[in-house]
Amino acid sequence: MAIAREAGPVGSLHEVREAGLDREDLLTVYRNMLVTRGVEERGHILYRQGKIPGSFYTGRGNEAAAVGVATAMGPDDVGTPLHRDMGVHITRGVEPWRIFAQYMGRQDGPTHGRDGNVHMADAQLGLIAMVSHLPAMLPVATGCALAFRIREEARVAVGWFGEGASARGDAHESMTFAGTRKLPVVFVCDNNQWAYSTPTHYEFATEHVADRAEAYGFEGVVVDGTDVLAVYREAKRAIEKARAGGGPTLLECLTLRMEGHAVHDDAFYVPKPLFEQWAASDPIERFRSWLRDNADLTDDEEDEIAAGVKKLLNDSLQRAEESPQPDPSRLAEGVFASPEDLDTPHHK
Amino acid sequence: MATDTAVDVVMPQMGVSVSEGTITRWLKQEGEQVEADEPLLEISTDKVDTEVPSPASGTLTQILVQEGETVDVGTKVGQIGGAGLGGSGAAEAPAPAAEPEPAPPTEETPEPATAEAAAEADAASPAETPAPTAAEPSAAPPAAPAPAPSGNGKAFVSPVVARIAGEHGIDPSQVPGTGSGGRVTKKDILAFVESGGAQQQPAPAPAQPETAAAPAPAAPAEAPPPKPPAPAPVAAGETLPGETVEPITAMRRGIAEHMRRSLDTSAHVTSAIEVDFSRIVSVREKLKKEYQAAYGVNPTYLAFVAKASVETLRDYPYVNAEMRGDSIVTRSFVNLGIAVELAEGKGLIVPVLRNAEGLNLLGLARGISEIAAKARSKQLVPDDVQGGTFTITNPGGYGTFHGTPVISQPQSAILGTYALVKRPWVITDESGNDAIAIKPMMNITLTYDHRLVDGALAGRFLRDLRERLEHWESEEG
Amino acid sequence: MAELTYLQAISDGLRTEMRRDKRVFLIGEDVGVYGGAFKVSLGFQEEFGAWRVIDAPLAETAIVGGCTGAAIMGMRPVAEMQFADFISCGWDQLVTVAAKQRWRAGTPVPMVVRLPSGGGFSGGPFHSQNPESSFAHIPGLKCVCPATPEDAKGLLISAIEDPNPVLYFEHKHLYRRIKGEVPEERYTTPLGKARVHRGGDDVSVITWGAMVYTADEAAQQLGSDGVSVEIVDLRTVMPWDKAAVLESVRKTSKVLVLHEDTRSGGFGGEIAATIAEEAFEDLDAPVKRLAAPDTPVPFSPPLEKAFIPQVEDVVAGLRELAEY
Repeated sequence: MAIAREAGPVGSLHEVREAGLDREDLLTVYRNMLVTRGVEERGHILYRQGKIPGSFYTGRGNEAAAVGVATAMGPDDVGTPLHRDMGVHITRGVEPWRIFAQYMGRQDGPTHGRDGNVHMADAQLGLIAMVSHLPAMLPVATGCALAFRIREEARVAVGWFGEGASARGDAHESMTFAGTRKLPVVFVCDNNQWAYSTPTHYEFATEHVADRAEAYGFEGVVVDGTDVLAVYREAKRAIEKARAGGGPTLLECLTLRMEGHAVHDDAFYVPKPLFEQWAASDPIERFRSWLRDNADLTDDEEDEIAAGVKKLLNDSLQRAEESPQPDPSRLAEGVFASPEDLDTPHHK
Repeated sequence: MATDTAVDVVMPQMGVSVSEGTITRWLKQEGEQVEADEPLLEISTDKVDTEVPSPASGTLTQILVQEGETVDVGTKVGQIGGAGLGGSGAAEAPAPAAEPEPAPPTEETPEPATAEAAAEADAASPAETPAPTAAEPSAAPPAAPAPAPSGNGKAFVSPVVARIAGEHGIDPSQVPGTGSGGRVTKKDILAFVESGGAQQQPAPAPAQPETAAAPAPAAPAEAPPPKPPAPAPVAAGETLPGETVEPITAMRRGIAEHMRRSLDTSAHVTSAIEVDFSRIVSVREKLKKEYQAAYGVNPTYLAFVAKASVETLRDYPYVNAEMRGDSIVTRSFVNLGIAVELAEGKGLIVPVLRNAEGLNLLGLARGISEIAAKARSKQLVPDDVQGGTFTITNPGGYGTFHGTPVISQPQSAILGTYALVKRPWVITDESGNDAIAIKPMMNITLTYDHRLVDGALAGRFLRDLRERLEHWESEEG
Repeated sequence: MAELTYLQAISDGLRTEMRRDKRVFLIGEDVGVYGGAFKVSLGFQEEFGAWRVIDAPLAETAIVGGCTGAAIMGMRPVAEMQFADFISCGWDQLVTVAAKQRWRAGTPVPMVVRLPSGGGFSGGPFHSQNPESSFAHIPGLKCVCPATPEDAKGLLISAIEDPNPVLYFEHKHLYRRIKGEVPEERYTTPLGKARVHRGGDDVSVITWGAMVYTADEAAQQLGSDGVSVEIVDLRTVMPWDKAAVLESVRKTSKVLVLHEDTRSGGFGGEIAATIAEEAFEDLDAPVKRLAAPDTPVPFSPPLEKAFIPQVEDVVAGLRELAEY
């Protein structure tokens, strides 16, 4: 029995306008989703070309969930996106060439080759770099919210996790703490149904992850994670509620991970019909049709956006490939921060 | 469980960090009956105020700590049962109150081990070394050896003793040892050095009550050298504004000790000569390309000077010699030391090119460059820095035109080369006419130990060296 | 100057910084209304309010992770673990997130975790540990272990000021047993700078925390035998003052490394190895380590006494070195 509220789809343009997006915003959302997928598709190519060391993780199928939530965040809000949430980085304004440089371990990636994959973030854009211990970012997001609460700032923190990560104590402790103190944090669960090869019924026994929210004293909402507008609407509600002092929300975006856990995984354990069923609800295709039906997206506009994205990615790739390898002689630098390092917007 | 045997009432520990408690009220008076677990007194600590239940049934025979007094946790504050004042319980209990020291009393005072150590030192002194056993009162009976080091006894030389012995040219087996099993300790060898490093075995000294490790000052065969004035030790920890303190590196300390010792040992005198490098410059110009292309070696001016020096040394054995004890040692070979500065003044090392007399210009150039590279990359092995017989130092790289280097002991001389500069120079042609010409000139110094090398000898050496350089025979390649 | 206990000095340091810097807040279990299990923050909530002296749920992961997030957002959090032992529950947040964030992502995490540590009062296996070596091994974390009230205040203020995650090990056995003069004004004691607790010529003891006092008692005993012992109190084990240790080694040439943590993998091993590497030619005896045996901390007093290095153990070790 579901306890969480199951959010419905978004219908008309009118409804979207009420939620705060005009037509230009909608095209930006569409474009961000295309860039997100494009970055990851090219990442796959780079990986197969041997240009990306280590392993490689992407978030195909999660574009709407990531872009939808990030679009709902305010400029001063912060978040801890994970490896299926490339759309958050793109929406917040991270330049794709830096992401490619990060993938390839180059000097111009946000971590300068010290960490790989989506283990990166631009602090200037309000993002905090994830670690591999995925649920570990939830207490950090909660701590950001705590800082906002102590300082009485109207800011919100968004903490992402997967349904697999929901099994760990970090998730429980964060939600307990955030719930008891009504902290301005929104917990976003990217439920893509498979934690590596483990299905949801081995990760949690309730119908939805969001069903747990009730037990922590706040609202749980399940939304179709392939419907970018529905995700946006629910995220916006949750974020503004938190900003107004209403405490946390657990927003579960239901999707299917459309690839393996990483490039090396062919996901043989996912039933074929499931892939076929979810492929019919591809988030980008779904939004494109909606735009054509509800917002008069024309062929010309579509072509123009696609061409722009293609050019951006080509240029970015070239620039990233020109980025030098990091200098091994500087490996030991910055293990400890110096006082000047605190000269950032957050610390001023 | 009423009892006639005494049961102590102690200040309880009300929490892990609580160290003391204050008695706020006794609920029973001396002589009153009390049941086990019945509240007996009230206490107050940093963390809580509480009642203390009686540990036994019986008569409260003693109140040792009065209301309002504060005592350490575990202190006996009263007694149930027993004989009352001065009862049997007191003996094993910690002394009542009045001990405000935070640290618990130590339970045992270990016997002083000095007697044991002395006895052991006595027992282990090898017979062939009648070192002054001196050190300790001999009254102590032989005792079981203290759980001691590795049992290597006197034969074992610790790293610090080995280092000091090496620096001072001392054979550690000649030093009286007071350590475990007669081992020579750092103090022993420092005392030995301090006393002038007695060359003769000192006469056994009578047992002295002092623990001093210094050998008895029996008259040495020759008067010990006057002790250098002990440098005033700089008080550590004191820093004036603007000063920066860094630890002395092992290398710096080695250099410091060596330099001081060299100046204390040799009678340093420096002579200088000016050398016209015209010929060398032109020869080098020709060789340079060929050497670079064929061997990847740069024929440096230093290599030329080295070659000329090695040849000249053949005729001046005392400049390539050593005073060893009462003897003068000369050689048929030259182990040429080259002074190399390490990065940014971090130190100085003198790697040695062995049998330099067998090397041609190319060999010397290559050898110098290799050994300098090894020194800078810290690849030198001990053999690379030992056994030098003559040293060249080249401080001219920064433009200096004169200097007085310190001799690398136990050698008798060191050659210094300085900046090669163009200077106006008076030349005389075949007809005897003087003219001023511009010549590439280099000053070269020889700093020598006047104990062994006289000024005239040094002058002749420099003259011959100049001859070789100014009239370089473009021999080999 | 006022005479304060070690515990009062910690409170004083924390109060000083909280009054001076609004970004500083305290969070932990029972730190608010109750004033902390050891009463370090007694009266703090009245002075600073419930949002700067925060009673957290029993959730070390949320506490340490929350501090990490708040620190990244510009606060200067101070977390109290009720006992140092419980930091195991916050390990991931400290080691995985906070320690590495500056190096890999360029985001400094200026926070302090206060860790009441150490044994000597039958705290048993879960209330007595000294886990500093585990954290000293993690690049990016600093470990502070004050021994005196004056250092307790000065080092805490330095730790709060420091732009890195700092673990502040406060020894429970010293809380109320050790008193000393503490300046009333604000001052800092630099991290990474050792203190010569007692000067001497014959043998050096390198130690920190409560063992400084054990060593001092042993030194007093040896003093009456004419053996002069130097005690170097490291104050912080990461960074640690190598120069001060080597200076003492060069002076005495004999060293005892002493700590209350267990022996294998204890930080004393790092110190001993460094001495062997960098001062080998100054040694006149093998470097000796004295530490707790490789067992959990026992509960029963005789067992605990056998576990924690005692004065007589130190006396024996020093004597062995003196006689070597």
